[in-house]
Amino acid sequence: MPTSLKKAVPHAVLLVYVAIILFPFVFVLFSSLKADNVEISQSPFAFPKDFYFQNYVDAWVQAKIDVYFFNSTYLALSTAVLGVLLAAGTSFALTRMKFRITSKIIYQCVLIGLLIPGNVLFIAQYILMMKLDILNTHWALFWPYTAGALPFSILLISAFMKSMPNELEEAAIIDGLSAPGLFVRIILPLTLPALVTVFIINFLGNWNEYLLANFFINKDTLRTLPTGMVGFRDAYQTNYALICTGIVFSVTPVLLLYAFLQKQIIEGITAGSVKG
Amino acid sequence: MKNTLKNPAVYLMFIIPTITLYGLFFLYPMFSSVFYAFTNWNGLDETRFIGLDNFTTAFGDESFRSAIFNNMYFIVFSVGLQVPIIIILALLISNVKKLKGFYKTTVFMPSILSTSVIGILWGFIYDPDIGPISAFLGFFGLDPIYWLAEPKWAMIAILLTNAWQWVGFYIVLILAAILAIPKEIDEAAEIDGANATQRAWYLTVPLIKPIISVVVMLSIAGAMRVVDIVLVMTNGGPAGSTEVMASYMVNKAIKFGDYGYGTALAIIIFAFALVFTAIYQLTFGKTERIEY
Repeated sequence: MPTSLKKAVPHAVLLVYVAIILFPFVFVLFSSLKADNVEISQSPFAFPKDFYFQNYVDAWVQAKIDVYFFNSTYLALSTAVLGVLLAAGTSFALTRMKFRITSKIIYQCVLIGLLIPGNVLFIAQYILMMKLDILNTHWALFWPYTAGALPFSILLISAFMKSMPNELEEAAIIDGLSAPGLFVRIILPLTLPALVTVFIINFLGNWNEYLLANFFINKDTLRTLPTGMVGFRDAYQTNYALICTGIVFSVTPVLLLYAFLQKQIIEGITAGSVKG
Repeated sequence: MKNTLKNPAVYLMFIIPTITLYGLFFLYPMFSSVFYAFTNWNGLDETRFIGLDNFTTAFGDESFRSAIFNNMYFIVFSVGLQVPIIIILALLISNVKKLKGFYKTTVFMPSILSTSVIGILWGFIYDPDIGPISAFLGFFGLDPIYWLAEPKWAMIAILLTNAWQWVGFYIVLILAAILAIPKEIDEAAEIDGANATQRAWYLTVPLIKPIISVVVMLSIAGAMRVVDIVLVMTNGGPAGSTEVMASYMVNKAIKFGDYGYGTALAIIIFAFALVFTAIYQLTFGKTERIEY
């Protein structure tokens, strides 16, 4: 085999695979700009005849994508922020403060959480929400999302904090900083890369979460994008152009985030799975 | 100065919120699951302790048995078929010089998206009337296939969608391991006259065995807890042909209020996952640490 051909074969195989990955995205994007099902079915692979942006307006208001989008955004953001802060504080106490034995026990106990698949706890959590009387409120998602991310976040942030040198904090303490001051002014800024990674992973996980959102919430105005989209599909089963518009709305923020932070996202997600 | 980091009040301030949330949403559900699993609690009637009844019911339950079978199908597909493809693609990406970053970024992309949105998207692609697959089959004069409506196709349709979402993720995992192998080893083999295929098979694959083992484990775990995609694409239908353990459990517990039985199913799922990973660890998964 000539060398040039040898070099071309792997690229050919990989490009076919890339095409399989990208095709659905392109297809959805084109379909979202087509007038109706007739245009989609007559020329499924063609570029839209003229850009029918009305779909975007319709989906945003009529189909309440704006509501779902807002719910998803603030739930995913607030739980990710709170989760990171709690995990950072706990990791600081566990790795830098001098309560070795207690810390070790707590750390091991929290890591057990990584072994339990979310599904297994699902029904017991549902019962708990029922007892707390917060089913069908955003609290029913807010607390499990915040709590659910803790084991992984603590694992990652602790690992990062353990690797920091002691001299810095010794100097800070001699200069008169208290433990909370040390945490806020020295440790947090230095841990920032790990915090950003953990934040993104938690944000993505909560933005995409379906199971809890589907069963803990059944009021339409409280739905998040993943569940709202399914309801939307069931309601508009006949209008694929509009459904595609909804899909575009819900994946665009994630893809934008990915475009800017792909390195952190890939590292964070793969690290989470391997260590977990 | 040592006292600053020995302040119990500060320590508790940092620890207590986390411990409370963790206790309430992990430990409590874990222990209460075990408790409920031995009761007939359904949210209405008096709760009675019924011993192992839920577990015997589960294994006598025809629908649950077929759900277990579907999970096995998932495992066989994702380990037997997906893993070899993943390894080959990762090897190909590691060997090309140009576009390496592009391939990595692109193949990883589906794994950051919401499974429910992916389910909707592929539902459209599988649509027999206006979906692109039907149009494609139409070019060859073939009739459209009712992917999600026919029992013999529905499971395959879901497995393919699931593969589309996750293969790239595993490729990136393996790729990272391949790229961590020191270049000298490969160069030495090349000088000794080994061609690319030989180097991949006799050198790279043995060196990345630990990560392949991790990928197999993750695939098994993933196949055991698969649920979102089933709920979104078929909700277990048609005629229970795509029902998996978790979707059956969720529907039983929430729709019919059968909480006691549902938690028993949850524990069975957990036990299955533990047993499978343990079996794998003790047989094929035994790998020693590799030192370069």
